[in-house]
Amino acid sequence: MNTFYLSRNQNRNSPINIGITSKRGFKPLQQWCFGNSPLSIMARYLSILLFGLALCVYVEAAEEMILIPAGTFTMGSDTRAADEKPKHKVYLDAYYIGKYEVTNAEYYEFWKQQTDAARTPENFTHLPEIGDWHARAEQFPNHPVVGVSWHDANAYAAWKGMRLPTEAEWEKAARGYTDRVWPWGNAVEPYANTAAEDDGYQNRLAPVGSFPKGKSYYGVMDMAGNVWEWTADWYSDVYYGYSSQAAAKRPKMNPTGPDVGSWRVIRGGSWIDKIARCSTTFRFYFYPNLKTSFVGFRLAKTAEKRKK
Amino acid sequence: MRNLLTITIFLWFCIPFFNAVAEKGNDHSKYVQHVEQGFAFMFQGSNQKAISEFEAALTLEPDQAEVLHYLGMAYTQEQFWNQAAESYQRSLALMPDNIEALYSLGVVYFRLDKWADAVPVLERVVELSPQHARGYEVLGKSFVKLRQYVAAVPVLTKALELKPQAAGTYYELGTAQLNLKEYTAAIENFKQALTFGPGRYAEPHYGLGTAYLRLGDREKSRAEMQIYQQLQKEYAEYERLTRLTHAEPKNLEAWTGLATVLMNQQNYGQAVQTFQRCIELAPNNADFHHGLSRAFMNLNYPKHAAQAAKRAVQLRPNEAILYNTLGSTYAMQGDQKNALIAFQKAVELDSEQPYYHLNLSKLYRSLGNQKLAQEHYRAYEHFLSLQKSKQK
Repeated sequence: MNTFYLSRNQNRNSPINIGITSKRGFKPLQQWCFGNSPLSIMARYLSILLFGLALCVYVEAAEEMILIPAGTFTMGSDTRAADEKPKHKVYLDAYYIGKYEVTNAEYYEFWKQQTDAARTPENFTHLPEIGDWHARAEQFPNHPVVGVSWHDANAYAAWKGMRLPTEAEWEKAARGYTDRVWPWGNAVEPYANTAAEDDGYQNRLAPVGSFPKGKSYYGVMDMAGNVWEWTADWYSDVYYGYSSQAAAKRPKMNPTGPDVGSWRVIRGGSWIDKIARCSTTFRFYFYPNLKTSFVGFRLAKTAEKRKK
Repeated sequence: MRNLLTITIFLWFCIPFFNAVAEKGNDHSKYVQHVEQGFAFMFQGSNQKAISEFEAALTLEPDQAEVLHYLGMAYTQEQFWNQAAESYQRSLALMPDNIEALYSLGVVYFRLDKWADAVPVLERVVELSPQHARGYEVLGKSFVKLRQYVAAVPVLTKALELKPQAAGTYYELGTAQLNLKEYTAAIENFKQALTFGPGRYAEPHYGLGTAYLRLGDREKSRAEMQIYQQLQKEYAEYERLTRLTHAEPKNLEAWTGLATVLMNQQNYGQAVQTFQRCIELAPNNADFHHGLSRAFMNLNYPKHAAQAAKRAVQLRPNEAILYNTLGSTYAMQGDQKNALIAFQKAVELDSEQPYYHLNLSKLYRSLGNQKLAQEHYRAYEHFLSLQKSKQK
């Protein structure tokens, strides 16, 4: 039986000098794989190309979604708005959340395949910096998609094999485990596109990722300002109260909001809001049918549990 | 040739249709614009402007249930109850089981004293959304207004289960129990109302006074009634000054009085706004800047407080109390160096004020200078006893 060792070829003229040495001598790797026919050479380079492409796609996909590890965090606040009370512990399983909000270019790919005209984002001809759907999809591919209803956002997420984040998932991704008031920390800084004049984007949207200093503890971008983000949950002003009572001694597990409601929760504030409304705990609500220039969304996905 | 003529005639007849389509598109753009601006105004708190925008939008597209609801909400904010009710009714005609629109309508009926109308609407709310605390709350209050106390008790109890720190709900529950002669339970709930309520909440004291009286405890009853009367007086003064400042927005005396009342009521958020208004009217009055600084300090905004105190000191550089406040704002920020300078200046200008010595003593202690800390503490004790003996 031959004994094989992975070794370096001593002949430096060989284009690939990695091969396998056996009792019969050194044989370059490409000969083991394909031989030297033109077809095999072509196949070889094609496979390298495809592998590289697959790697790029994988790396890109891995960058777009951020893994938020399983664990407990503090949700809500005892010192701010009444509907943020009480501050309580929430446990969430591991999940992925979009590093950025869904962009015009991404939504455009989905929209092209839709037969339902209802999935078309609203036109904002009175806002030239945002414009109508076709123009902005072309001119501002990296801006967050706006003019989409909660139903549109949900349909897009399903099309991507994902879902919208729950309110708790959104807050954990924005706040981290250190109770930050804003994703970047506790001080008011111009690290988000708000109604303030010092952020460089007065009265208009910013491309996603324009405020790297504003990223959250987990590295999630744009969780304050630019656009409000749809979450999966119905809104209830007292949900924290009654959902956390039973969990007074142990954290609430993976909460998904009330069973019924009229409004869906939106989070994060937008380009038309003051910074106070862009805090990590501020809760707001909106009719799921409405399509406005200040509400967009990001994706989430449950992380598969490791098999023990 | 004949075909060309046919096409031309056909196109000619199509022109009105094309115009209608284009106009519809144009109208929708205008509708979107009005709705967007309505939201922007609403978020900024400019409800009057939001109303105009939503109304303009609804002229173009009248059957937008959601926008009708937002219009009602803007009317509600402005306390135009009848218009609000009409908007909600129109919204509900399009979306009959919309929980929030039903709730909003129930609240407006309550405000309009149409309690009997509010009851079925709010009953529908809690039927559709069994965890709707606000729905139970207003439903319970409606029952109390209708003197249906037996019905009110379980509804208000459910509201408190869902929203356990709602002072107003405890008060209403206490009232219902008082009328059902359940005095001990009523006392408990009035006390809870005071625990969770705002600083100068008057009504529960009246409830307590009545309950104690019915239980035969005249002393406790009298004490509670006295507190109630005192708070009512304060509240009447607050109401009077609020009305006066609305009627005469440049009446500086009224604004000053209102600021003082608000500080006494520990309503620091509104006090900040009131002092800011005073400063607009009299920018060089050091007292207003000083008041603003104190209000900010109580809200735990030391930077803003320091800024206001600095301005006060600039305007009146020889007043000890202003330096003392400035020093406190620095101390709150952990800036011991500037706090020390300010406190020293306060003592220098008025060495007989015990509390300036006390502040300086505390600061020296935290700086590790025990000798000076003790020295100023002794001065504090000395001047405090002098002050007390003078008062006697």
